[in-house]
Amino acid sequence: MAFKDVIEKEEKDAYLLTNEAVVRAALESDVKVVSFYPGSPQTEVLDTFEKVLPQFDDLRMEIATNEKVALETVAGASFVGMRSLTSMKSVGTNVASDSLYSLAYTGVKGGCVVLIADDPYCHSSQSEQDGRWFGYTAYLPMLEPSDPQEMADMVRLSFELSEKYRTMVLIRTTTRVNHQSGIVRLGPMERTPFERISWKENRHSFRTVGSAARAAKAELLEKMDRLKAELGRSDLNRTEHFNGKELTQVDGTDGLPKVGVISSGVCYRYALESLMDLEQEAAVLKLGVLNPLPEELIAEFISGLDKVIVVEELFPYIENTVTMIAKDTNPSIEIVGKRSGHFSEMLEYNVPIVIKVIADAVGKEPPFDHMAHFERMTEKASILPPRLPVFCAGCPHRATFTSFRRAVGGQDEVFYANDIGCYSMACLEPVNWSDSMIAMGASMGIAAGVQYVAKEKVIAMMGDSTTFHAGLTGIANAVHNDDDITLFIMDNSVTAMTGQQSNPAAPEVAGHTPGKGIDIEGMLRGLGVEKIVNIDSYDIGKNIKLIREAVDHEGVSAIISRQECALYHFRNYRRAGGKHVPFFVDKEKCDRMYNCVKDFMCPAISIDPEDGKARIAPEICVGCGVCSKLCGKQAIISTATLKGGENRAYIEVSDYEELVRATEVDE
Amino acid sequence: MKPFSIINAGVGGQGVVRMSNILGEACALTGKEVRSGELHGLSQRSGSIVIHQRIGDGAVSPLIPFGEADVIVALEPMEALRYLYFLKPGGLVITNTELTHPPGESEDLVNGRIERYISYEEVIGTIKEEAEVVEIDALEIANEAGNPLTVNVVMVGALAASEGFPLDRDAVVEAMTSTVPPKAVDVNLKAFELGSEAFKSKS
Ligand SMILES: Cc1ncc(C[n+]2csc(CCOP(=O)(O)OP(=O)(O)O)c2C)c(N)n1
Ligand code: SF4
Repeated sequence: MAFKDVIEKEEKDAYLLTNEAVVRAALESDVKVVSFYPGSPQTEVLDTFEKVLPQFDDLRMEIATNEKVALETVAGASFVGMRSLTSMKSVGTNVASDSLYSLAYTGVKGGCVVLIADDPYCHSSQSEQDGRWFGYTAYLPMLEPSDPQEMADMVRLSFELSEKYRTMVLIRTTTRVNHQSGIVRLGPMERTPFERISWKENRHSFRTVGSAARAAKAELLEKMDRLKAELGRSDLNRTEHFNGKELTQVDGTDGLPKVGVISSGVCYRYALESLMDLEQEAAVLKLGVLNPLPEELIAEFISGLDKVIVVEELFPYIENTVTMIAKDTNPSIEIVGKRSGHFSEMLEYNVPIVIKVIADAVGKEPPFDHMAHFERMTEKASILPPRLPVFCAGCPHRATFTSFRRAVGGQDEVFYANDIGCYSMACLEPVNWSDSMIAMGASMGIAAGVQYVAKEKVIAMMGDSTTFHAGLTGIANAVHNDDDITLFIMDNSVTAMTGQQSNPAAPEVAGHTPGKGIDIEGMLRGLGVEKIVNIDSYDIGKNIKLIREAVDHEGVSAIISRQECALYHFRNYRRAGGKHVPFFVDKEKCDRMYNCVKDFMCPAISIDPEDGKARIAPEICVGCGVCSKLCGKQAIISTATLKGGENRAYIEVSDYEELVRATEVDE
Repeated sequence: MKPFSIINAGVGGQGVVRMSNILGEACALTGKEVRSGELHGLSQRSGSIVIHQRIGDGAVSPLIPFGEADVIVALEPMEALRYLYFLKPGGLVITNTELTHPPGESEDLVNGRIERYISYEEVIGTIKEEAEVVEIDALEIANEAGNPLTVNVVMVGALAASEGFPLDRDAVVEAMTSTVPPKAVDVNLKAFELGSEAFKSKS
């Protein structure tokens, strides 16, 4: 298994996810300080480091409040002289970018590697960004792997380059690389002890402003030239010959066919498979370096071609450079790409998309009509109900929304500024409501603007992790300006959406070791929020009134809705020996009102086709008991009552023991 | 040269990832080329899950092009149909027989937007129009093996018994047993064997 292989001593072949390969290669490179904020598609880098952390007393790890702090942390460690690494999702780089640009100027000392994971298609992001521009506009070297093995090789190399050039090195990925698994050759794991370094003996200034900045920029440009010379002709950029059957790496361009393909990352793999399927001979330039692009190599590659097909997702980043170079070296070459209208700047690619373009460019028919097949089969599958994400069984957010919607009287009464977390699913059925949802922590700023203009009351909502990530500035702003906003803080103890990592409100830090949990209520009071209402998310009976109280307050008010993320809570509960005590439907009492189904959508509840009454799947129900409070007939009852226990939700840690006893009677 | 391409499908929480990890691990043990494409991200456990897996020479890209999978192994029948567009014409579908109705379907039902749940017969009938199908009552078999959580292992057992399956059986067994605690080895082995037998008796 992956975890075992990440720490394996033996040098062997292992089946790893690219994100796990990052961790393996970084550990092999003796990385000493790592810090992350979670975000798909790179979260497994954090999660894997956290899993292996107890095995390495020579490694320091933080789960940071946000990507900017994570970047600054690893840069600081590097300033003093240790190797460090962080990774972030595309939009996380926006948050970190202020420091990123300055750090390019100051440079670093210990090898410092930064992963930027883009998400074409927005599988799990708010916008389709192209992180390649960060490398380009910040003057930082940037590499791009196409699979787990290349990732491992590039991470190791990046640490060396970083130290040699005293610059951070960026590695750019896309979802289909981060979430690709394959065989990785494990290298030697040679770690050195963690020994603090004397700053006094290594003092060096890392500051940039005015004349220092101008000097740094000049140095940066010169660094880029040297990097271009070293990396351009390195093995990272490969010229290959595909003869219709086999692929061979070649030196120079002698004897290559007249049709060429330039690509990088996972798109290279789609292009190669397309050529194989078409049995199409072609020259291939596989780029591993995105910045600085190897202009000389590209010029040489295209100089003898009639036609070049550039395969890359999102912006025509490589294509623009190819077009520019072609003006001088081969003005008559036909460039097939986005400018020619063949490829889109939207979404992610796959073989069906790429093979169509290549076939078209070389005047062949693809051997199989993928799209026709796709359409015919999806038509067949259209009889299926969709299976969209919903709140987990027992999710406190579901309960909070139940009371929130009743308390404010629905969509017509208030402006609801949503934010980024599991509660974002309010956008989907059954809540199906968010008046805005922009970026982490943005809800408070948006609310500030809306409350000046709209007639309706404004409600903002953030999770605990989002509050610390980028929400505090918005809260301070609203209090300071005496804005009229009610803020919901969905305090579920963890950063749930990305896999329940700890956040500053949690009593633990990376590696699940005890740490300081920040008291959110005390913090809000310190910031000057006058009206604070605490609610237990599950207590929907009481909450409607409490929520109204906060909403009626003029000025900034806050509702802290507390209950642990159910996935997290019940996982810990099972590990502590607890057993679920599900609820069940008393069929005698159920009169098919479906209050437990309508607008609730709990995965544990369905309709029994036999009698049309509600039914609770005991293997899914965690026993939060919220649905039982919605039933007008009191038909939903805890299975604990069958064993002489009380009819109430068993959710408190203190109940564990009692619970185990109750459920073990007659089992 | 085309790789052997497998679509692993199911509902979050059913163990689709483990199913594909067993196969990937078996490749590492036997020096076979393998490349998988999956999506991790949302925590919620009731979403639809699909993992692409390509084994052997020619495993160049991590995603199976539409209509090129040799087999779909599904822990839930609706998910087999949902991803049928990946299967080659006339390819093989090995599916668990138990439907898991998504919460949205119940919501539609009680709100009168649909009259009844989709039936197993409708789902399987539609798949049969396009594919060869082997139906496995994996939950019953997993219970027989001693643990309902081994549904995914039953399905790996069934897959391993299918024609053209490119991996050595022993390697799959080794990959599977090396990832479970010692006390669970026997149950997993039994689930695997029963899965294989069920496949043979049905195909
Ligand atoms: C800048 C940025 N970083 C990371 C993410 C990934 N992300 C999406 S939701 C989320 C978790 C938010 O946690 P919280 O606000 O506590 O809500 P919960 O999921 O716990 O309900 C994260 C980190 C993102 N979308 N944007
Ligand atoms: S992961 Fe936690 S917070 Fe997110 S939907 Fe599930 S229970 Fe709710």
